[in-house]
Amino acid sequence: MQYFTQLLISGLAIGAIYGLIAMGFAVIYKSTGLVNFAQGEMTMITAYIAWTISTTVSGNVFIVAIGAIIAAVVLGLVIERVVMRPMLGEPVFATVMVTIGLAVILRSSINFIWDAYPHGLDVGFGRTIVRIGTIGVRTGQIAVIVTLLVLLAAIWAFFRYSKVGVAMRAVAADDRTALLMGISATRVHALAWAASSVIAGIGGVFFALSYDLSPAMFQLGLKAFPATILGGLDAVLGSGLGGLLIGITENLAGGYIGSGMKEVAGFVMIIVVLMIRPFGIFGERDIERV
Amino acid sequence: MMKYLATASLLLASAHLATGAALAADQGITDTEIVIGDVEPLTGPPALLGVAASIGHKIAIAEANNAGGINGRKIKYVLEDDGYVTARTIQGVKKVIDVDKAFAMLGISGSGQSIAVMPVLEKAGIPTVIDVAPVKFLWEPPRKNVFVVGQSYEEGIIHLVNYLADKNPGKKWGLITQDDDYGITVRDGFDTVVKAKKLNVVYSGNYKKGQQDFSSDMLQLKESGAEVFLAGGIIGENIAMMKELEKLNIKPVVGIFWPGRVEPVLKLMGPAGDGLYAVDYVEPFAGPAGKAFLEKAKGLLSEAEMKGINRYSMTGYAAAKVLISAIERCGKQPTWVCTIAELEKTKNVETGIMAPINFGTGVRFSNQKLQIMQSDFSTLSFKPVN
Repeated sequence: MQYFTQLLISGLAIGAIYGLIAMGFAVIYKSTGLVNFAQGEMTMITAYIAWTISTTVSGNVFIVAIGAIIAAVVLGLVIERVVMRPMLGEPVFATVMVTIGLAVILRSSINFIWDAYPHGLDVGFGRTIVRIGTIGVRTGQIAVIVTLLVLLAAIWAFFRYSKVGVAMRAVAADDRTALLMGISATRVHALAWAASSVIAGIGGVFFALSYDLSPAMFQLGLKAFPATILGGLDAVLGSGLGGLLIGITENLAGGYIGSGMKEVAGFVMIIVVLMIRPFGIFGERDIERV
Repeated sequence: MMKYLATASLLLASAHLATGAALAADQGITDTEIVIGDVEPLTGPPALLGVAASIGHKIAIAEANNAGGINGRKIKYVLEDDGYVTARTIQGVKKVIDVDKAFAMLGISGSGQSIAVMPVLEKAGIPTVIDVAPVKFLWEPPRKNVFVVGQSYEEGIIHLVNYLADKNPGKKWGLITQDDDYGITVRDGFDTVVKAKKLNVVYSGNYKKGQQDFSSDMLQLKESGAEVFLAGGIIGENIAMMKELEKLNIKPVVGIFWPGRVEPVLKLMGPAGDGLYAVDYVEPFAGPAGKAFLEKAKGLLSEAEMKGINRYSMTGYAAAKVLISAIERCGKQPTWVCTIAELEKTKNVETGIMAPINFGTGVRFSNQKLQIMQSDFSTLSFKPVN
């Protein structure tokens, strides 16, 4: 039982990180209809900025957190304004290719701006090991699970009750009608990019806290993308839960079947789920009038 | 008379053609300059080794240039980034040879990349000294123009596992390796000793390249009861594994391989990284040879470059020293043929950071002497133990 519990807790912790990044994917898709293939790289950049703040400005956890959030907002807004907005109205394939190009540029920038060495994000929090019986868990892992749950609730409330959230849903449902109702689609898009950058960035910072920063961190995006497909590409909350599912499945498969199955298990689950629900567990079925 | 003139003209023409061919082979040399090319991963995670190796090359080149160059010619270093992508390595090497007209090559990128680029190097015939990723394929069979400074991965692992097995008789063993050519080599070396010494292996894992979370793998290791563990990761993987072991509250005897024997890793591992055994053929930075190397580098590198130094800078420096000294021995008009012949004659070349380097007739591999080191968290360094 202890073995299972340890696997479950570790799975939840890494799954929460996948979930946060997956939510970043879903926020952009829900608002713009675009899959952002630079999500992992944006996550990595925010984490590196947090590390830079912690080593150059202050190691205070609040200063690092606020600095990282501001940086993530700016990063999202700049990418939307400079790279994505000029692509409005262009074919989806071209826009997706732009995000792939952006991913390569952001990935390479790590070596130009920082370096290839792994770094530890030390803010005096997150690395302490809490022991419950023989089970060990780092405080950063507990914090990321709690953060994901809080964010899931906050985002549900945001889309359900706030004017901006409703506007975002309106643009996602039908941007032309939304425009006629006086909603600025470009503003909604900008907000979506900023929100996505912040949510995924939080995942990145927690990853850096629990593990380390390295130029390989962008690969988190590759793990989070299946989570958003599983949860539903248009389901922000579903993507968060999809991340938890992938994390738990990976860890249980790795623990009970073998190391080699760890990376495969999540994808096996996705194939099975998509065969039954092609729009993901929590995604909305596309209904076309004929 | 006409017949004599015709014969003389033909001889002159042949001589001219022959000279032309020789000149064509001796590209990369002017009266004032000699070009040495290199292709390394300068971006992406493997930049950790590519940047460091290129820094080692730069130290040796700057040292030679400060001393007046190679017989009066300054060395120009042309460095290309391949991002650790094999297709780009081939492209980069072709560019360095055909466009930059390099006279000789150093490097080159990782093991898979060096193997892939071998036909290009062989076809060109350019003198090449490889230092980053020594794997047997690079010197077996020996290629006329390609020399390798270092020790094979397999021998390194055999040396380490033999040492740990002798030090920990009768203990249970665990191993985890990466699912690529590097991992296969590590596993092959491990299996050789397992068979020879009949080691009791209770855990054997295989992780996918790029894996970052090792919680389930290390939990399996714990459950298996392994007392000696060979961590077959490179950098980030080994850090993640050590932290997981710390979380699981177990401390087996751990061995790591030289690609991961990079001092900053110890800081990231924290106390969990104390007492790790490692194998290498270059001196640790904490020793007198390492300190002298750093001191020498200080005067030749920028502050930013100094931060990029690691063990690969030492291997890069040694390879560049061997190449430069071979070209130097060719005198005022070095050629590829002469440089290759002089490389072959390399005998007891001292670099101060590894055992003297030797090649020989038909021997293209320097077969460096190995040593075991142990990490010390309090000083964030590795120290020799034998």
